[in-house]
Amino acid sequence: MAPPNRTARVAVLGSSVQRSKSGHPSRGRVTLVRRLVLVVLVVAALALLTISFRSPTSGALHDVQGAGASALRPFQIAAERVAQPFRDVYGYFHGLTTAKSENEKLRSEVKQLRNESLKYQSAAAQLPELKRMLRYQEGPTFPKDYRAVNARVISFPSGPFTQQISIAAGSHSGIAVNTPVVTYNGLVGRVTNVGPTTAVVTLITDADSAVPAKDLTTGVTGLVRRGQGDSLILDRVPKDQVVQKGDRLVTQGTRDPRYPDLYPYGIPIGRVLSVGYSDNAIFVQVQVAPYTQFGSFDSVTALVSTKPAPKLP
Amino acid sequence: MSLVDGLKAGLLLFVAAIVQVSILSQIHVWGGIPDVLLVTLVSVALLRGAVVGAVGGFFAGLIVDTATFGQLGLTSLMLTFAGYWIGRYGETTGRDRAHAPFLSVAVVTVLYAFGLLLVHFFLGERAPAVPVLRGILPAIAMNLLLTAPVYALVRRLLRPASRSDLATEVQLLG
Repeated sequence: MAPPNRTARVAVLGSSVQRSKSGHPSRGRVTLVRRLVLVVLVVAALALLTISFRSPTSGALHDVQGAGASALRPFQIAAERVAQPFRDVYGYFHGLTTAKSENEKLRSEVKQLRNESLKYQSAAAQLPELKRMLRYQEGPTFPKDYRAVNARVISFPSGPFTQQISIAAGSHSGIAVNTPVVTYNGLVGRVTNVGPTTAVVTLITDADSAVPAKDLTTGVTGLVRRGQGDSLILDRVPKDQVVQKGDRLVTQGTRDPRYPDLYPYGIPIGRVLSVGYSDNAIFVQVQVAPYTQFGSFDSVTALVSTKPAPKLP
Repeated sequence: MSLVDGLKAGLLLFVAAIVQVSILSQIHVWGGIPDVLLVTLVSVALLRGAVVGAVGGFFAGLIVDTATFGQLGLTSLMLTFAGYWIGRYGETTGRDRAHAPFLSVAVVTVLYAFGLLLVHFFLGERAPAVPVLRGILPAIAMNLLLTAPVYALVRRLLRPASRSDLATEVQLLG
C-alpha cells in the first residue's frame, strides 16, 4: 500500500513519481511557473534594454531612471561614507608601499628638472655674450676677408703653466693652425693645434706669445707679450716714442705683403695702464690691461680667412 | 518562500547592489573588480531556488543600472540568467555540496563577464576583450574570497529550505 503522501500511481522502478503533498503544486505547474517567470523577466529586461538603447538621453524611461538614481543617491552616499575610513586606511598603507618607488621616481624627475634648469640658466647666461658676438661680427670693426666661426670653450687653462683653451670647433669648420681667435671684447689668441672638431688656442697671455700691436692714439708699434705675473706689456717701444696711459692698443696687421701678419688689423688688445722709463732699459716699460677677461668667456670667435692661408717666414 | 524571506533576500541584494556600485566598483586589483552582488545573488539563488534567483537578479540588476545611469536592462538580463541558472543548480544537484557556492561563483563570474562582453558587442558598443580576459582571474580570486563570508551571512539570514520545499520530483529506485 502506498504511503499517504503519494499518489495512487504505481511506483515503478526508474519512473518519476509526483509527490502529492498537500499545499505543494504539481511538478508540471512549478516548471511552467518557473519558466514563465524567466521568460517574463528576460523579455522585460530586453524591453528595457531596447528602449534604453534607442533613447539613452531622453524619454520617459530615462526620466524614471533619473528619478531612481536620485532615490538611490542617499544610499550610495551613506555607503561611501561608511567606506571612507576603510578607504583612507587602505590609501595610507598603499601610499606607504608605493612611497619608495614614487620617491625614487620623483628624485629622478627632480634631477632631470635640475639639469634642465641648469641648462636653461647656462643658455640664458650665454645669451648676452652671444648677442655681443653677433653685434661684433655684424659691426664695422669686424675684419674684412674673414668669416666668423663661433665655438664654445670646452676647457680653460688648468694652471699657471698652461695658457691654452680648447674650443669645440676644428678643421671641419675651416679652422687651421694660426687662426686668430677673438671675443667681442678683443683678442684672445691663436690656434696652435687643430683636430677635426676641436682646436687648442694659445692665449696672448702665454709666455711664447707675441702680438704686433699699434697704439691707436700715437701710432707707436710694439709687441704685446706676457709681462710680470699675468699682466701684458707692450715691448720693443723705443724710448723716443710716446706712449700715454690710457692709449688703446690694437693688432697691427700686415704692413708688408711679403711678411703677412697672423692677425688682421684693428683687433682690440688692451689699454695702456702705465708707462715707465728706466735708465738701464733700452725700451719703454708699458703695462697693458687686456680687454678680454681671460677665463670669463664661454664662447669665442675664430677668424677664418677667406683668403689662402699666409705662409710663415 | 515566505514574505519575510523575500524581504530579507531583497534587502540583502539591495545592500549588495549599493555596496557594489558605491564601493567595490572602485577597487581594481590587477584589472579585476570584486563583485559582491554576484556572490550574494549566487548565495540567495543556491538557497532559495531558480525563481527567487531570477527575480532577485532582475531587480538587483535594475538597481545597478539605475544607480550607475547605465544601459537599463543590461545588468538585469545578465543577473536574471545567472540567478536562474544557479538556482536550478541549487535545486537539483548543488544544494548540499560544500563546494557548490565556490564552484557557482567561479563559473558565474566567468560567464557573467563574457555575457556582458557579448551583449555590449551585439549592441555595437565598445567591447574590449583583452582587459576583460586580463581581469577575469583576479576577479574570480576576489569573488571566491568573498564567497565564504557572504554565503555564511546569507545562509544565516535565509535558512536553507527543507528538501520537501524544494524537491517536487523524486526518483524511486526500488
